[in-house]
Amino acid sequence: MRRIRKKHFLFATYDDFEKAKDVVGQLNALDDKEDIIDNIELYSPIEHPEVNAMLGEFHQPIQRFSFFGGITGTVLGLIFAAGVGQSMFTVQPQGGKSVITIPPDIVIAYEMTILVGVLSTIAAFLIYSGLPRRVKSYYDHEVGVDQIGVEVETHPDNNEKIRATLEGCGAVEVRELTS
Amino acid sequence: MSDFKMKDIAWAKINEDVLASLESPRKAFWIVLAVCFALVLCGAAAEIYQYNEGLGVALMNNPHYWQTYISNFVFWIGMSHSGTLLSAILLLTQADWRKPIYRFAEAMTFFSIATAAIFPVIHIGRVWDMYWVLPYPNQHAIWPNFRSPLLWDAFAITTYATSSALFLYIGMIPDLAICRDKAKGWRKKLYTAMSLGWMGRATEWIAFQKTYVLMACFLVPLAVSVHSIVASDFAMSMMPGWHVTSFPPYFVAGALYSGCAAIITLFVLLRYLFKFEAYMTPEIMDKTARLTFAIAMAWNFLNLSEYASIWYSHDMFEHEMLIDKFTGPYAGVVWTMLFCATIVPFAMAWKKVRVNMWAMFVISLLIQLGMWLERFQIVSPPLASNHEPWTQVAVWPGLVQMTITAASFGWFTMLFLIFCKVFPSVSMYEVKEMVYHRNKHGKKKLQDLEKIKDDMIKTEEGLS
Repeated sequence: MRRIRKKHFLFATYDDFEKAKDVVGQLNALDDKEDIIDNIELYSPIEHPEVNAMLGEFHQPIQRFSFFGGITGTVLGLIFAAGVGQSMFTVQPQGGKSVITIPPDIVIAYEMTILVGVLSTIAAFLIYSGLPRRVKSYYDHEVGVDQIGVEVETHPDNNEKIRATLEGCGAVEVRELTS
Repeated sequence: MSDFKMKDIAWAKINEDVLASLESPRKAFWIVLAVCFALVLCGAAAEIYQYNEGLGVALMNNPHYWQTYISNFVFWIGMSHSGTLLSAILLLTQADWRKPIYRFAEAMTFFSIATAAIFPVIHIGRVWDMYWVLPYPNQHAIWPNFRSPLLWDAFAITTYATSSALFLYIGMIPDLAICRDKAKGWRKKLYTAMSLGWMGRATEWIAFQKTYVLMACFLVPLAVSVHSIVASDFAMSMMPGWHVTSFPPYFVAGALYSGCAAIITLFVLLRYLFKFEAYMTPEIMDKTARLTFAIAMAWNFLNLSEYASIWYSHDMFEHEMLIDKFTGPYAGVVWTMLFCATIVPFAMAWKKVRVNMWAMFVISLLIQLGMWLERFQIVSPPLASNHEPWTQVAVWPGLVQMTITAASFGWFTMLFLIFCKVFPSVSMYEVKEMVYHRNKHGKKKLQDLEKIKDDMIKTEEGLS
């Protein structure tokens, strides 16, 4: 039976974004030099684009889901209104009107564009944010208040170096964790 | 006006204050809730009576088949507009003053739609046949008429209700996580399920911000389309007084106007009931009032252009209809509407009024009264100006209609207050963002000033 390797983390909290920014910068530099960090994760009460940018590029093409969702909605709307609803002409008297009337179908297609577009956007959000998920056992509630958490995944042998970097940037607390 | 700019407030204090609002509102909260509940009970009793006796007890008869219930439907749909639409527009334009107030405005949208949706059901009388409006295949091969704006309504309102609810929910996830971390008992379970395991990771924030902006992009055209479609219910008929080309933009402006007034009413109410004085500041009220004033002027312009186009069109029937509105049996309604929705907003031209909470509360109520009357004067007078002499009778809403109308206000306020008691009505993370950016901006300004001061000292030393 294959054994799953336990992951080892160091989790530090900071009371300022500037400190978090410094530590991420220093950890990146350390990793460039010695290649000892598997992953850095940032936890914060608000979004901070500058620090997030330092973590690397996040590939989240949510807008593509919105775009293609919108197009799918338009097509579904047209098929539904014209193809299904109005083609019932054989059983419903049309009073001399054309079987498929474009202006009202556009209204329905418009609404369906938005509905399916919104639903696709939400689906993309769930996919790319990794939600829903279980809250990690070591998640620090203070991150939701006013602290910024930096989680570093590394091998236990590198603890000392990383701890020194985390503490050197003014961490409020540094914890060692295994999951 | 307070010069408090919300930049001195600590992040922990923001959490504390908002979470406290979920636990201990003022006593007045329970009184308001009880009054609303009593109104809902009265409305339920009136509806049961109407259900048993038929629509005749509501004084609805041919041709007065559209009256207060439809006015209420249009009013509540209109009310729903400002919340999501303004929140989305202000988000896209990065107006940071929206942050403390957008959550309750979005909630207002959802509960207004929930209230509006009741009225077509009450209006049709045969409540049990309501599902006939939904387009679904059935053995009778009966399909709703896809050419009718009434069916477009079903599509538009369903889309709007779904999208607004999702917009409200998605925007609440980071705050629900904060609630989860502090709550106990049933609240803990509720917030844990609803926060989806949010932890504030960078991946989550980036996806969240993108999603929120994209949804705002969808919601702006959606909100405009919904009320345009409601306007089409009237404008696409051949009835003089309803067959007006400018109705869609007129309805959208009217919806924004009444929605803004509702935001002001709820702003004052929440500020008092939940002790949000530190977040719902006079500065924000001032901005909301300015926006309302601008929209009021747009609505007035559209109102005037509607009258002007009828007057100069020389269409005999429309002309007659217009004169009848101002001089006929419904003249009182029209003049009161013009006073409340056209004259009263001019009070907001003064800053002293704009930052006075109770003055704004009264003004907002008057505007809403004006806008309710506006819907009533759109729906009812044309039906009484028909060309058959036996139809030319003014029909006023009876006790049943008025009780159900009052109950709708109770229903809306009750749902809204329950929401504010269970969910954070001020966005904690967005207020934190606002505080953070204002502080950062303030510090940068201070550094720039100090640099200028140093340069001046150096220049003076050089000169001497």
